[in-house]
Amino acid sequence: MIKKQLYRFYKFIKKPYNIILSVLLIVLGYLTLFPMLTMIKDTFTVHVSESMRLKQAAGSWTLNHWFKVLFDPSSLSVFYKPFLNSLITSLGACLVALLFGGVFSWLITRTNIRWKKVLSSLFIFPYIMPSWTIALAWYNVFKNSVVGGVPGTFQALTGIEPPNWFAYGAFPIALVTGLHYAPFAYIMIGGVLRNMDANLEEAAMMLKTSRNRIVRKITIPMILPAILSTFLLVFSSAMSSFAVPQFLGLPVRYQVLTTQLYRTLNGINPGQGYCIAMIMILLSVGILAFNQRMVGTRKNYTTVTGKSSNISLINLKKARNVISVIAVVLILMVSILPLVSFALESVILKPGDYSPSNFTLQFWIGSAEENSIANNEAGLLLNPNLWKALWNSIKLSIVCALTAGTLGFLAGYGIVRGRGTKLAKIVDNLAFFPYLMPSMAFSVIYLSMFSTRRGPIPALYGSFFLLVLIGTVKYMPFASRSGINSMLQLSNQIEEAGEIIGVSWPKRMARLVIPIQKSSFISGYLLPFISCMRELSLFVLLVTPQNRVLTTLLFQYNEKGWSQYSNGINLMIVIIVLLVNFGVNKATGASIDKGIGG
Amino acid sequence: MKTVRFITVMVLLSLLVLPVFANGQTEKTEAKVEEKVMTHDELVEAAKAEGTLTVYTYSSRTTKIGDAFTALYGIPVEVTQLKDTEMIEKVSKEAAANLDAADVVFCQDGSRVIPELVYTGYVTRFVPENVEGHIVDAEFEDPLVFEAMPKVFIYNNEDGGDQKLTNIWQLTEPEWSGALQFKDPFSEAVNMNFFTMITREDWAEKIAEAYKSYYGKDIQLTTKNAGYEWIKAIYNNGCVLGKSDTTIGENVGAKGQHRDIAGLFTLNKMRNAKSKDLALAPAYGMEPFSGFMYPAYVFVASNAKAPNAAKLFIEFAFTEEGWKPFNLLGDYSPVDYLSDNAEDDLTIVDWKNQLVWEDPAWCAENRAEVEEFISSIV
Repeated sequence: MIKKQLYRFYKFIKKPYNIILSVLLIVLGYLTLFPMLTMIKDTFTVHVSESMRLKQAAGSWTLNHWFKVLFDPSSLSVFYKPFLNSLITSLGACLVALLFGGVFSWLITRTNIRWKKVLSSLFIFPYIMPSWTIALAWYNVFKNSVVGGVPGTFQALTGIEPPNWFAYGAFPIALVTGLHYAPFAYIMIGGVLRNMDANLEEAAMMLKTSRNRIVRKITIPMILPAILSTFLLVFSSAMSSFAVPQFLGLPVRYQVLTTQLYRTLNGINPGQGYCIAMIMILLSVGILAFNQRMVGTRKNYTTVTGKSSNISLINLKKARNVISVIAVVLILMVSILPLVSFALESVILKPGDYSPSNFTLQFWIGSAEENSIANNEAGLLLNPNLWKALWNSIKLSIVCALTAGTLGFLAGYGIVRGRGTKLAKIVDNLAFFPYLMPSMAFSVIYLSMFSTRRGPIPALYGSFFLLVLIGTVKYMPFASRSGINSMLQLSNQIEEAGEIIGVSWPKRMARLVIPIQKSSFISGYLLPFISCMRELSLFVLLVTPQNRVLTTLLFQYNEKGWSQYSNGINLMIVIIVLLVNFGVNKATGASIDKGIGG
Repeated sequence: MKTVRFITVMVLLSLLVLPVFANGQTEKTEAKVEEKVMTHDELVEAAKAEGTLTVYTYSSRTTKIGDAFTALYGIPVEVTQLKDTEMIEKVSKEAAANLDAADVVFCQDGSRVIPELVYTGYVTRFVPENVEGHIVDAEFEDPLVFEAMPKVFIYNNEDGGDQKLTNIWQLTEPEWSGALQFKDPFSEAVNMNFFTMITREDWAEKIAEAYKSYYGKDIQLTTKNAGYEWIKAIYNNGCVLGKSDTTIGENVGAKGQHRDIAGLFTLNKMRNAKSKDLALAPAYGMEPFSGFMYPAYVFVASNAKAPNAAKLFIEFAFTEEGWKPFNLLGDYSPVDYLSDNAEDDLTIVDWKNQLVWEDPAWCAENRAEVEEFISSIV
């Protein structure tokens, strides 16, 4: 009996993916489950800030939070309405992202549209930029007299006042969020379309199947896992996106769950906030489970078989030029326009006045004495604080990207190879949890978790390592999702072939798996890098003056209303990310957009 | 069988990792702030021996106090700016874990600072010698107020004429529908404190009187008191919530609008009105108030590693040189020798008399109720 057990154990650890999964289970279990449990506990306890009103000691048990959120007359405006609004805007965003990103990836991988290379690299810009920048652009163009001030560009040009539903609320929130996350769809669906085994389509073509039927019966089912993954990522991202609804919803008091969460966490009802966060997590877990069921029931999604992949491009014929031009114009509008506006806003003195005399470079290169409008803050390029923060940001983002990307890829490998086992399922869920946790709550919990010594873990607070840790855990889902996706496509046969002739696991990974899936692999590094570069709420509680990052500086300028400085920093962040993307592209041939079609 | 093995592995694993879930070692936070009174010279000497001073603040201008302080005493200062909630979380978590983090804490939002930082003993009030006996109003003394900032009803005065706003009930009338802007009180704690203050009986009565003086009849209540009634009325009159006082100031003051538009925002946005070409005028002497005034407090952190430098810094912040970065329109010192504002004829007392002053104790106990009330209006 014992011998049998031992043999089982031996067999278990002989498979590398089992070791990977077990280690991840322990580490992620601690780093994600513990915060989860803490949050659940917080929904049932009295917080210090409300102890005075409830006349109960802080930390004692209460059902008050859940009651107020779900069963009180005020629940309608505290929870149910925002919940409905969140569903509407998130589903809308998914639709926009999938349509926009999907159609684009199809155009670029499967048709002879012009300027593929340029379109392909420009398409990911909206994701690189902070999500609220497109919101800001929308606001500037379409705002109407509700908010007062100088009229929006659209009204100024046409004299037509945009109606409220068009300028604020559900419609623009869904549209802007969808555009922001469209690159997800583009990267995931495009990756599959490009790597897909063309034999299937060719076979269908030889049997004289119509184009329509091929798309319906072959192409779409093949890309279904990518569509579902995109849906999952976009839906959860949209559900947890805060800046866009806050920007476009506030003027008409359109509340969604995140704005409600922010209000309660920032107010004195954090317990209610955690209740809302828990519900958001549950909802996303439901979608995750659904996603797994779909992928689980249709197991054979292998698209990369190592066989021919000669894709015949569809000839757009006469429509080619028209479609190409439309594509370029659309892309320029969402990708380049905001950049131009950052640059412009950072060099004008009085906002809204674009006459030549109003232009100045003082916010970039002015000395401290010159800048009286911003309390004598030195221009960006002369500001030692900026350089220090910039260096910290880059350092942190690179380290986070390396750890998150590697762990995520290994997780993806382990999860797919161990598919069907409970272990794989649990690790899959654990690796995705952090994505669903509100950054603010996550960092509050990490702050209390790591401010003291716990068993063998020393007090990490104030160290650079803690920032790396939270960044890695929070952004691993990107890498593990892209890892899972790419591993799902990779036929087992390839690795098995290596195994049979006795190639060791590290060598199989280095020589077979990674090279084949290089583009997904690299994108697993780039997404955490980008997210890290523009993250604020995750780090703001954990940074100390020594390791302050660029976004904390951005926040300070923004808060003070020095839009020239904050626009300038925004521009810098985007340019840095673009340079890194470009550099990685040149060095490795891969990039976040995988140079699809290029 | 598979399940049994799985469970066994899980149990073993959880046994291994259990210690890391246990409560961290908690050491009792001891107040290191000494009670012994030192002379200024002794304080300077002790402060210099303590190394770098860490300051948490709500205002970026504190950095300038830090620079001047370093220039004078040679003590390096690290200044970190934090939002209200982050300030509370950071200070309380650091203090609870007894970390050497902040030494001096400049903060606002009394309704949370008092119960969460002061009552818990995480920060301690310290009144420097140069301030003793110079505070102009008893309400600025405990907790010690570093500065007071007015948020005033400010309107667009491009078309000239008399002051447009004289009574707060005007803002509930159809001609001011959709024309009042302020920052979402859920993202700006002091705004919420203001709404909480006006539900206190004394203010509610004044609001009821203002109603009578405006309409010539008694107010009919549908809520608890006239304070709640006014809040409900302005929300139902389509007030517009803004993201920052800066943009609200620009939206209200932009020229060429030719309509009634006003905002309740910080007076210091008047500072750049000219350079930004905005038509803004504060509504002075409205019935029963022209807005509100909120305090920013200064404390020594109880587990400060540089307690003497912290005291010296607070003392310095109340000198003419330390106050310089704040000696501007919209910031008012509570001490008499700094009360001459460089850009405003009105003093802190003049403002306090026409504004609602934030009482942290009242706000701490009643803000949750007002928050719920406002959430339910929507």
